[in-house]
Amino acid sequence: MLTELLPALAANLLSPAVLFFILGVIATVVGSDLRFPEPLYLGLTIYLLVAIGFKGGVALSDAGLARVWLPGLAAMALGALIPLWLFPVLRYVGRLPAVDAAAISAHYGSVSAVTFIAATNYLRQVGQPFPEYASAFLAVMEAPAILVGVVLGKVAGPRTEAVGPVLRRSLHEAITGRSVLLLVGALIAGWATGKKGGDATAGFFVTPFQGVLALFLLEMGLVAARRFADLRRVGAFLVVFGIAAPLLNACLGILLARWVGLGPGGGTLMAVLAASASYIAAPAAMRLSLPEANPTLYLTSSLAITFPFNITLGLPLYFELARQFCPSTP
Amino acid sequence: MTTHPMKRVTVICEALAREPVLRLLTDAGSHGWTLWEVQGSGTWGVRTADIPEFANIQVEVILQPTTAERLMERLAAELFPKFAMVAYETEIRVLRPKKF
Repeated sequence: MLTELLPALAANLLSPAVLFFILGVIATVVGSDLRFPEPLYLGLTIYLLVAIGFKGGVALSDAGLARVWLPGLAAMALGALIPLWLFPVLRYVGRLPAVDAAAISAHYGSVSAVTFIAATNYLRQVGQPFPEYASAFLAVMEAPAILVGVVLGKVAGPRTEAVGPVLRRSLHEAITGRSVLLLVGALIAGWATGKKGGDATAGFFVTPFQGVLALFLLEMGLVAARRFADLRRVGAFLVVFGIAAPLLNACLGILLARWVGLGPGGGTLMAVLAASASYIAAPAAMRLSLPEANPTLYLTSSLAITFPFNITLGLPLYFELARQFCPSTP
Repeated sequence: MTTHPMKRVTVICEALAREPVLRLLTDAGSHGWTLWEVQGSGTWGVRTADIPEFANIQVEVILQPTTAERLMERLAAELFPKFAMVAYETEIRVLRPKKF
């Protein structure tokens, strides 16, 4: 397997997207004045989410709902289950306060859209076909873990307010947040217009996609590296956790993908969804619903450890695992 | 020209506290507010403002002195423990006190 892993690693590390990510990290580390204006960051995320959602919707209209509902449900269940096993690890092995353990586990159950998008880009690059409609799994996996995390934090942590209203507010936040709204909206638009809509917009949503992603990962390199200074503040346990948790979650994702009959492409994406940690939706939800939790802990582990790990080493690793364990369906 | 004494309350806080702060302002009797995004550093570290959610916001309201006091008390009791936030009040003079 190692002989296959090395070329896979090289293919990822030498892709334009990852090279620009590394450039962003270097720029911050050497103290460059390079900064992306905030509206550009927002514009790029909107483009990427709409493009991936729309393409997913077009693929969904082709594949039909019958093929998608089972892996979709499995993805949702996975998102809800991941916090349940991470919470006791963080609480009793990491000896973190209950609210912090709950908040961090919510981040790891929830997903990072950019990691998913980078994974689809990687699969395309190595010539591995994958189900484009998997962006529907991305859309349904963001919220469940956040809700489970909030409940864990409220039940196990200090009782400051009733769980019901907090949960309702979190659900509203999770569903109306810009990432889920854009993804689901674009999925529906793609599904409704089908192949005709896909062809009509391909010049905008498909052709420039790789370039936009490279530009966006340059910005993410800057953003992630700005938090490297906080690594010293979170302690060795979280640094190890930030790499071990995605690896173990990826294995769970691959087992589940195999069980619902996804091939190596779908298996890689399910592994990436399980392995990635949210750094936008989950922090926002935690600040509002579990404000007692320390944001440095969850932001640093998800953004400064897990995200760079997944983008650089994780993707090819999960792909090789998926190739081993998820046989191609005829 | 006659001007009237009024209080301006300024709240600088993490962007994620936006909704709770605005809810509290309305609740405490404010008739309006002005808000903009800012950057800075403080006891909670540097706010890089590279991602909108990680930015700081500054909210200003003009209030009757008694309302301003009530607002400051509630900010301290309800939001200071939860969010990265500073708030201060300043004496100002306005032309049309009925607006506030």
